[in-house]
Amino acid sequence: MNYILEARDLRKEYPNKLALQGLNLQIEPGEVFCLLGQNGAGKSTTINLFLGFIAPTSGAAFVNGMEVAANPLKIKEHLAYIPENVMLYPHLTGLENLALFSSLAGFKYKEAELLDYLHHAGLPAEAVRRRVGTYSKGMRQKVGIAIAVAKHAKVLLLDEPTSGLDPKASNEFSQLLTQLSAEGTAVLMATHDIFRAKEVGTRVGIMREGELVDVRPTAALNAQELEQLYLTYMHN
Amino acid sequence: MRIFWLLFSYEWRHFRAAKGLVLLCALLLLTGLYGIYYGTTEMERQRQHLTTLPELSRRNVEELKVKFPGPADAGDIGYYHTTYAVHHPDAWAALSLGQRDINPYYVKLRLLGLQNQLYATDNTNPMKVLSGNFDLAFVLVYLFPLLIIALSFNLLSSEREEGILTLLLAQPVSPGVVVSAKLAFRLAVVLGLAWLLSVVGMLWAQVPLDGRVGTWLGLSTLYCLFWFGVALIITALQRTSAFNAVTLLGVWLLLVVLVPSLLNLGVAAAHPVPQGIELTIKQREEIHAGWDRPKTQTMNRFFALYPQWRDTATIRERFVWRWYYAFQHLGDLAVAKQAAAYANGLQQRYDLVEKLNLLSPAINAQSSLNALAGTDLPTHLKFQRSATAYHDALRAFYYPFLFRKVEFTHNDYAREPTHTFTSQPELSTALRGLGKLLLSVGVVFAAGLLLLRARPINPR
Repeated sequence: MNYILEARDLRKEYPNKLALQGLNLQIEPGEVFCLLGQNGAGKSTTINLFLGFIAPTSGAAFVNGMEVAANPLKIKEHLAYIPENVMLYPHLTGLENLALFSSLAGFKYKEAELLDYLHHAGLPAEAVRRRVGTYSKGMRQKVGIAIAVAKHAKVLLLDEPTSGLDPKASNEFSQLLTQLSAEGTAVLMATHDIFRAKEVGTRVGIMREGELVDVRPTAALNAQELEQLYLTYMHN
Repeated sequence: MRIFWLLFSYEWRHFRAAKGLVLLCALLLLTGLYGIYYGTTEMERQRQHLTTLPELSRRNVEELKVKFPGPADAGDIGYYHTTYAVHHPDAWAALSLGQRDINPYYVKLRLLGLQNQLYATDNTNPMKVLSGNFDLAFVLVYLFPLLIIALSFNLLSSEREEGILTLLLAQPVSPGVVVSAKLAFRLAVVLGLAWLLSVVGMLWAQVPLDGRVGTWLGLSTLYCLFWFGVALIITALQRTSAFNAVTLLGVWLLLVVLVPSLLNLGVAAAHPVPQGIELTIKQREEIHAGWDRPKTQTMNRFFALYPQWRDTATIRERFVWRWYYAFQHLGDLAVAKQAAAYANGLQQRYDLVEKLNLLSPAINAQSSLNALAGTDLPTHLKFQRSATAYHDALRAFYYPFLFRKVEFTHNDYAREPTHTFTSQPELSTALRGLGKLLLSVGVVFAAGLLLLRARPINPR
C-alpha cells in the first residue's frame, strides 16, 4: 500500500520533555485523519515533523514515499499547511499574499484565478484588496485556506485550522475538506473540536503525552461516543 | 534562482512599507551628502589658505625691500623674512580628511631654529578637533554599520515573531534562499547608497579617475560586507529581534568605539612618545643659553659640523648674525634625538596599529581610506621631513651671505629656495587594508554559514 503520509517509530525528545514517543501512523490518499488531544499531547509536534520544521530524535516521517529529513524541499511540494493562527505580510493585500505564496509554491495564477480562490475560501470581495493588517483572525485564516487550496497539494496539514472562524465559516471549511478529500487529498488535522473531527474525519487518533493511544474510524462512533472515549483517555 | 528573485522583489515591497527604514536611508543619504560637503569645503578652505601664502611671502619681501632699500645684512633678512613650507592636499583628501585637521598643512619658517617652528600651528577650536571630521569616510565607517544593523537586526526574527515564517517555510523554499534573498536586497540598498555617495563625492571633489576609484569602492564594499557578515552570524543564532539589535549594537560599540580606544591606550603604552612641549622647551632653553655661552665655544661646536666655514673671521663683536644663527641651529641639534624619537614613536605607533587593525575593521577601513587619500600620519611625517629639508636648504642659501659677509641685494630674494609638497597616496597601505578586510569578510561569512548549517532555521 502506498501511504501519502507515514510515520515510522517517530520520536521527538527535548532536553526536558519527551514530545513524541514512537509514533506509527499511515494515512492514505483521500483520508481525513484527525488528531485529538490536550495541549502538549504531541499533535503539533507530529505536524512539525511532517513539515520538516524539526528533526526527529529517531524514526522517520514520510510524505508521498519520501523521507522528510532527506527531502526537506521536495516533500513541501506535496504539502499544504494551515496553522492555528495564519499570519501573513500585513502591508500586502490578501490578493498579494496569495499571489506571493502561490508563486513560492511554483504556481503563477492570473488575478481572476486568485480572486476565485479567495472567494471560495470565503473572503469577502471588499477585503481582497485591503491590507492584511486590517484583517480579523478569521479573514487571515480564510486567506490561509486559499493559499493551501491554490497549492493543489496531495496532503493538507492542519493545526487547529478552524480556530477563529465563525460557525458558518467553520461549516464551509468542513465542506471544503470533504470536497478535497473526495478529490484524493489526504488531510492530517490536529484539533480540539471533537464534533468537527467526527464530522469531517475518516479516522480519529487520540494522543496523550506524546503517544497515539487510540485510533478509531469515525464511522464506528457517534459524536457522544467519541467525546466519551476522548474524555476517558484524558481522565486516565 | 526564480525563488531568490521573487523573494528579492518582495523584499523591495516590504522595504517600501517600512517607512522608518526608508526615512533612515534618506537621512543617511543626506548625512553622506553633508559629509561630502564638509570634506570638500574644508579642503577648499585649506587650499584657499595655501594660495594666499605666496602673496603673504611676496608682501613680506616688499616690506623688507622698503625696510632695507639697499644691500643689507643677510642676517637681518633671514630674521625678518617669512617663508612657508606648504602641504598641498590630494583631491581625494576631501573624501577622507584624516589627520589634515589636527596636523598643520603649512609651516611658517624663518631662518631661526627649526623645531619650535615645525610644531607651531594655528590655534584651532579644541572642541572641533575633539568632535573629529564629518567627512564621507566618517559616514561610511561609523554610520553605515548602524544602517546595516537597522536593516538586518530582524532579518528573519521579525517574520518568526509575526508568525509568517511558518507559512513561508511550509512552501518548497530553502531557508538558505530566504536568508540570502533578504541579505542580498539589504546589501543592494546599502551598497547602492555607499556607491552613490562615493561617486557623488568623487565628482564633487574632482578626483582623478585612476585605480584609486576601484580601491575606494572595494574598501567600502568589503567594509559593508563585513557588517552584513556580522548580521548573518547574529541571524544564525535565531534569537529575538531585541536580542539581535542589542547584540549588533554591542558589536558596533566594541569594534567602532571600544577596540579603537583600547588599541590607542595599548599602543601609547607600548610606544611612549616624548611630549612635543618638552622638546620645544628644551630647544628654547638651549637657544636662550646660547646668549650666555662663550662665542668661541658655540662657534667651535658649529664649525665641527660645518668645517667649510671654519676659516671665517673670529667673532669679536658683541653681536653678529652668524653667531646668532649658529646657536639657533645648535638648539635644533640639541633636541635632534628627541625630535627623531618623537617622529619615530609616532611612526611606530602607526605601524603597530597597522599590525593590530585586523581586530577592528573600522580602524582598518578608516586608515585605509586615509592612506588612499594621502591624509594619514606617514604622509604628514613625510611633509615634516620635506619641511626640514627645506629649512636646511634655506640655511644653505643664507650661510654664504652670513659667513662670507656678502651683502643681500633685492635680486637675491628671487634666488631664495621655495617649498612645495603634495600628498601622495599610500597605496600599499590601502591595498593591505583591502586584503585584511577581505579576510575579515571571509571569517564572518564562514562563521555565519557554519552556524546556519549547524542550527537549521526553526520557523517557530
